[in-house]
Amino acid sequence: MSSPGPTRTSDSLADVVEMLLDKGIVINADIVVSVGETELLGIELRAAIASFETAAQYGLQFPEGTDMRRVEAASGREALPEGEDGPLAPIIDASSTDVEAETTKEHEEDDEDTETEADDSSETPEATAESGGGDVDR
Amino acid sequence: MSAPTAEPGTNVDDGRYVYCVVGVNEDDDESEWRESNGVDGAEAYLVAADGVGAVVHRCEATPNPSDLSAVKQSLLRHQHVVDAAGEAFGTPLPLRFGTVVEGGDASVERWLAETVETQRQYLNAFSGKWEYRIEVGWDEDALTETVQASDEKLGELAETLESSSEGTSFLVQKQYDKRLSELVYAEREERVAALAERLDPLVDEMEELGRPSVSLDDAGDSEGGPSFRVAVLAPEENEIPIGDVLDDVEADPATTEVQYTGPWPPYTFAPSLDDEEGTDDGDGRTTDAGDEARTTDGDAEAPDAGNAGGRSR
Repeated sequence: MSSPGPTRTSDSLADVVEMLLDKGIVINADIVVSVGETELLGIELRAAIASFETAAQYGLQFPEGTDMRRVEAASGREALPEGEDGPLAPIIDASSTDVEAETTKEHEEDDEDTETEADDSSETPEATAESGGGDVDR
Repeated sequence: MSAPTAEPGTNVDDGRYVYCVVGVNEDDDESEWRESNGVDGAEAYLVAADGVGAVVHRCEATPNPSDLSAVKQSLLRHQHVVDAAGEAFGTPLPLRFGTVVEGGDASVERWLAETVETQRQYLNAFSGKWEYRIEVGWDEDALTETVQASDEKLGELAETLESSSEGTSFLVQKQYDKRLSELVYAEREERVAALAERLDPLVDEMEELGRPSVSLDDAGDSEGGPSFRVAVLAPEENEIPIGDVLDDVEADPATTEVQYTGPWPPYTFAPSLDDEEGTDDGDGRTTDAGDEARTTDGDAEAPDAGNAGGRSR
């Protein structure tokens, strides 16, 4: 912890899941309909958010308006994971393409595959997801 | 039949999805209060009666998140609305996710009026207080080293071990291991007790939470070692003092991780409304239908799912 105060970071999503699905007031009255089966989904979700990385692999997304840069900073990662499809993909495309473009400038003597990949990724998101994996290996 | 457990997406008659209950003053202009971006994108508003108010939105069906991503979004939106209500009206009494009341605002008002005494009592008790969640982990190896360095008997056993024959050393090794594991356990207990004792004057209530059910992958290696995991109810002004205690704990090299989250609405400490035995006020003001059907909220449908104690798989 960097400051003594409490935080709410991407880690605390696990707390949200636990509290909202297990705790809180339950009304027992004949006017109430409560949803039981979300609890089953909740268990899957708990497993999925064991870490933010895992959550990202499952293609989970934060609600609109979430500042993803802060989430990333909080999760201790600089960039979003590569090679994933799903709703986060466009952001990943942007960052991985940038990285690729820079690398290409610095290493112009590198083989031509890099150039080709960079070109592909600027055209279609699908291609980027694949070429993103290659980017990591380099 | 009370509190039936519905399938997600069940149609309801003039439904109101309920987020939480808040205390309202006469000078609060509660009819003006709105919060957008609720569950399923709905707009939440306040239904007030007798000085308490329920934060609700209109719905025609129970929430039906179709996949994990949608569940997550719904949970975060639910929390978003409860947070906003807490900011506007003070510490709320949060309801469990997925509660829908049938019969429109009138029905919500009736429920509020029926339970108003218990609601008010808890709203007053929780006023200015929030739930905080604390998790501290200790490194098993570091604890082992600590007790190895400090326990004389272990030292003696280690010496005997070196000088003994093969047959004897097997037995001595067993003694050594047994004592070591007992001491490591005791060391952990001591740290937990010491931490709980330091937190005690800062918190109103503390509840142990057990292991989180996150484990797809920690079945093999235990990642964190022995740990302390609690929810506490504490006055807002104790936020920083609690953090200071945790900073001290974190400075110990044997500590692997400290997590301190909040402020949350008092989910863990929320009362059990409509349930005479569950509330310790014992004033007998319960709704007439609530009692005998208490176990129907999800447990009957999914015994593993709703049970907090059974999640440490």
